[in-house]
Amino acid sequence: MADASMVGRLTGGDHACLTFSDAEERIDLVASFVRTGLRSGHRVVCWTDSIPPDDLARALAERAVRHGAAIRRGQLTIAPVHSSLLGSGGASASEMISVLTHEIDRAAEDGYPGVRIAADMCWATQPLAAADQLAAFESAAAHLFADGRLCLICQYDRDRFDAVTLAFAAESHPKAVAAQVYYDSPLLRICRQYSPSGVRVAGELDYRQQEEFEHALGESLRLDRNMHVNLRDLAYIDAACASLIVRAARRLPASRRMIINCRGVVRTVLDLVGANSAPQLRVTVAHGHA
Amino acid sequence: MVTPDSADLAGARPQPPVPAEEVPLDLPFDTDGLYAVRSSVAAHAGHLGASTQVVQRVLIVASELATNAVRHGGGRGRLRLWVSAGRLHCEVSDSGRGLADITAGIERPAPTAPGGRGLWISRQLADEFTIQSGPHGTTARFAVSLDGDGPDTSSDEIA
Repeated sequence: MADASMVGRLTGGDHACLTFSDAEERIDLVASFVRTGLRSGHRVVCWTDSIPPDDLARALAERAVRHGAAIRRGQLTIAPVHSSLLGSGGASASEMISVLTHEIDRAAEDGYPGVRIAADMCWATQPLAAADQLAAFESAAAHLFADGRLCLICQYDRDRFDAVTLAFAAESHPKAVAAQVYYDSPLLRICRQYSPSGVRVAGELDYRQQEEFEHALGESLRLDRNMHVNLRDLAYIDAACASLIVRAARRLPASRRMIINCRGVVRTVLDLVGANSAPQLRVTVAHGHA
Repeated sequence: MVTPDSADLAGARPQPPVPAEEVPLDLPFDTDGLYAVRSSVAAHAGHLGASTQVVQRVLIVASELATNAVRHGGGRGRLRLWVSAGRLHCEVSDSGRGLADITAGIERPAPTAPGGRGLWISRQLADEFTIQSGPHGTTARFAVSLDGDGPDTSSDEIA
């Protein structure tokens, strides 16, 4: 299996398998992939399945991806995966390869140096999907990447694919992309967020994982100009960890910000440990979570 | 005019007995039991008629007190939750060596201080708060009114 690569470092010629644990993490990684592609002047195509195209566009916008103008000028396409033939179920490996070849040629004709494609492989779990053809495709596609014009990430939901398929997917892709994880248990996940960059915490956070949380905040403090701390899926935080957030924010120079999005219960604790004593700190409450 | 002494300010008045026959939640816990404390308190408080806001306040205070018990009160404790006279009452007790300072958390800790915020938060969110501590353990008890919003700790939320 390939080493986990940072999604932001993927470049032309890369064929990567993206695995994720929940919808937020997937959208975060895809947003980073799209944003890097748009910035470097490539065409970007998102073939989506489990998330409707409009919802994906909205989710990208919430993650600092300016998609509107890019879609209007034809640089960005967000479309259902079944429209691409990749997801039409009966497609053969050679048909899938011709679809990708067509995208590479079309991007070149339109003057783009390359094309970045993010493909949701969720359809392959459906009963009539040609899973054997998927396997054949992933193996046969290698030559498409030789000239560095195509960058493709195939998204596999760790919860929806069986272990055998996931292991095969990991082996057949030269690279693997996943979020950097600082702590992971059924009750708490602390990982890096890529777009906008910072930290994401889901579950319940208390003093027992204070060290891992501090490490995650410390990395963001070093790497990110403004730290985006996504606590939307955090159901509880204790005073010790909330205080850590406030003290980290206070260490930021006045020109930098820590931006927190959280639920009402977390906001209450942050307020009580002195969130308003840190002018660098911005706290907003997530929609529907007052 | 009566000036309350520091023990009264700290909420150190004697506590009436827990109404043993009317306690819907009586939960022993240790370090690994903090998740269970939170889910049980939230579920029972909701079942006893608390609004979302009240459930959140009870959850935050009960969890901080239980955390104190496992971190500083001998590693384990007991939590009880009941309703009386329109208020949700909760008691968290441990058999540790007791609090060094029963007035802890009356003053807001400095933002740079490394710890000591659990009791401050508890005193802020509870409508009523008492604590007794000695060489054989600490018992903290608080109540939150089931009607009314209580202390407003939130501001300009974007909801």
